[in-house]
Amino acid sequence: MTVLPYGVEQRRGIPMRRLLAHRELAVALILAITVIAVSIINHDFLSLGNFRDILIKVAPSAIVGCGLTFVILTGEIDISVGSLMGFLAVLLGLLTSPDYAHLPVSLSILIVLAAGTFIGFINGLLITFGRVPSIIMTLGMLTALRGATKVLIRVYANDRWIGNLPDTLRFLGTGSILGVPVSVLTALIILILCALAAAYTPLGRRIYAVGSNTHAATLAGLSPNRIKLFAFTLTGFLTAIATMVSVPQLSVIDSDIGVGFELLVVTAVVVGGTSISGGKGTILGTLLGVILLGTVRTVLTFLKLGTDATYWERAIQGGFILLAVLADQLAKRDRSEDE
Amino acid sequence: MTDSIPTTITPSPGTPGEGGGEGSPLLTPRAASPKFSFPYWHELILILLTIALFLFARSKDPTFLNASVQSELSTHVWELALLALPMTLIIITAGIDLSVGSIMALAAVILGLSYEHHVPIALACLCALLTATAAGALNGFFISRIKVHPLIVTLATLSAYRGIAEGISKAKPVSSFPESFAFFGQGTIAHIPFPALLFFLFALITFIVLARTPFGRFLYAIGFNPTASRFSGIPVARIKFLLYTLSGTIAGIASILFVSRRNTAKADVGLGLELDVITAVVLGGTSIFGGRGNIPGTLLGILLIHETREFVSWHYQNDELIPLVLGALLILSVLFNSLLTPKRR
Repeated sequence: MTVLPYGVEQRRGIPMRRLLAHRELAVALILAITVIAVSIINHDFLSLGNFRDILIKVAPSAIVGCGLTFVILTGEIDISVGSLMGFLAVLLGLLTSPDYAHLPVSLSILIVLAAGTFIGFINGLLITFGRVPSIIMTLGMLTALRGATKVLIRVYANDRWIGNLPDTLRFLGTGSILGVPVSVLTALIILILCALAAAYTPLGRRIYAVGSNTHAATLAGLSPNRIKLFAFTLTGFLTAIATMVSVPQLSVIDSDIGVGFELLVVTAVVVGGTSISGGKGTILGTLLGVILLGTVRTVLTFLKLGTDATYWERAIQGGFILLAVLADQLAKRDRSEDE
Repeated sequence: MTDSIPTTITPSPGTPGEGGGEGSPLLTPRAASPKFSFPYWHELILILLTIALFLFARSKDPTFLNASVQSELSTHVWELALLALPMTLIIITAGIDLSVGSIMALAAVILGLSYEHHVPIALACLCALLTATAAGALNGFFISRIKVHPLIVTLATLSAYRGIAEGISKAKPVSSFPESFAFFGQGTIAHIPFPALLFFLFALITFIVLARTPFGRFLYAIGFNPTASRFSGIPVARIKFLLYTLSGTIAGIASILFVSRRNTAKADVGLGLELDVITAVVLGGTSIFGGRGNIPGTLLGILLIHETREFVSWHYQNDELIPLVLGALLILSVLFNSLLTPKRR
């Protein structure tokens, strides 16, 4: 398939087939079918409360997904976000909890934000200027941060859970503003900002340019390294934000927070249509991917399959991804025969 | 085919992804300056690191280096070592297989459940092997025929296979296998543990195939430039299918060894093992972008990872430190390697 510069595809005429070939529509369609099918079987699925639950559940993946979309758009990958979230969660707990450091909440938040951004920056720095392949770098980071988290818990908390979080911090996780949960509101703001940045700013254009052809981007006077560094740093920062709005929902903080989170987010971004080799994808697609995966997870409880069904959750999730990529690839094949 | 293909391939490309357009004359790498042409930096670093580790271990805790201690500790490594062999081949073709740990779990659960339902143990092992092979073949089908990126396929099957293992076993363990079954994991032939024998046999075969046969050359060619390989008549799709199927089979064998050693089969077998395996292979100098790597390097990688891990848990009695050290080791070794090799333009 030829790689069109970003935007060219969208501005052409819109015959129906071309419209259907868009990944966002395909994902939205699958989402709609799933929701309709499940709500026919169980009417409670369509309730406002369930809708709210799903949104709260997917908010952290959506926030991190924005950063990761940029990273994958530049042709790189970051699989360290889950471990980073675990590390920052424990850091946040240790800093704020009256049982440990008991620092003011605002100061702790600043420290956690700085730590997340810094780790993202280190990732980006070694990947770009240190020329370590991103999958290796973030694989190493994934392992190292999980270890660091466990060491933190052992040294400062004697291998116990961290509980007793202050109320002001709890508000970030469980509070709402005008009836909208804080986490959902945050996710919404970040999604809108990132979507606008991707589509309408020079920065967005540059990210797509670097992803579709690094060499051409260099010749055009861009610095792929700096753009990639930005994408990784942003992902670190957004992971810190996601930690802040999701972790205070939990009653206690342990060393296993965020295990497998990176797989969920990468999956969501890819299911949402972002090409793993870079240059193609949108924030809207990522949002749809995140919601689709979040919905699939809750569907199981509404199908009333009994407790045994929970064991099948991962199998169904994995099967779903395979189906999505299969459908996408077949659609792509149709398209290229068309042209 | 000339003998020079693997050695003429310049160090790992600095630009990941397919976007770069490998064939463009503008991208032809500049000839490396003679000063930097020494091709074994990576192996040298690994050997030095291993020696440094041994010296450090000797100064801290001499008993760690005793033969009996070492042979006792080595029982933990064979599954990882076995899986690293097909993983090396896969990464050389610029692919990746994240699902090996999950395939192990699936095979273990099939083995346990069929034994529990009074299938003879030999037949149960065969069932496990076939399941693992089929699981690998499904990966291979998606990657070679549907042409989905291996990272995506195996990320999906990483969840799917473990999910199926959890689903059919309801996360319950099966144990108390017959005495004869313990041979696979714990038996010895001429004082050499059976898993070790199996591993060295497989390592030798893989080494010869990779270094001395046309098939091995094909793997490097596919990793370096899949399009050119296809045009020069290499059956790229068939070879990829074969590799991922093989990886599944080996995961099945590793699973049987593991279950036999621990005498229990559960859906959490091999959890996170894929990361250790990939770490060992990449630490061993195989380029994640394909086209570069060899079996001796992988052996060094396995050795270094194994010794580091065992020393940290032996001396410091602190398993939490292991991932921290291994992660840092992986990043630093690749960082040094990329800083020491010439920049690709």
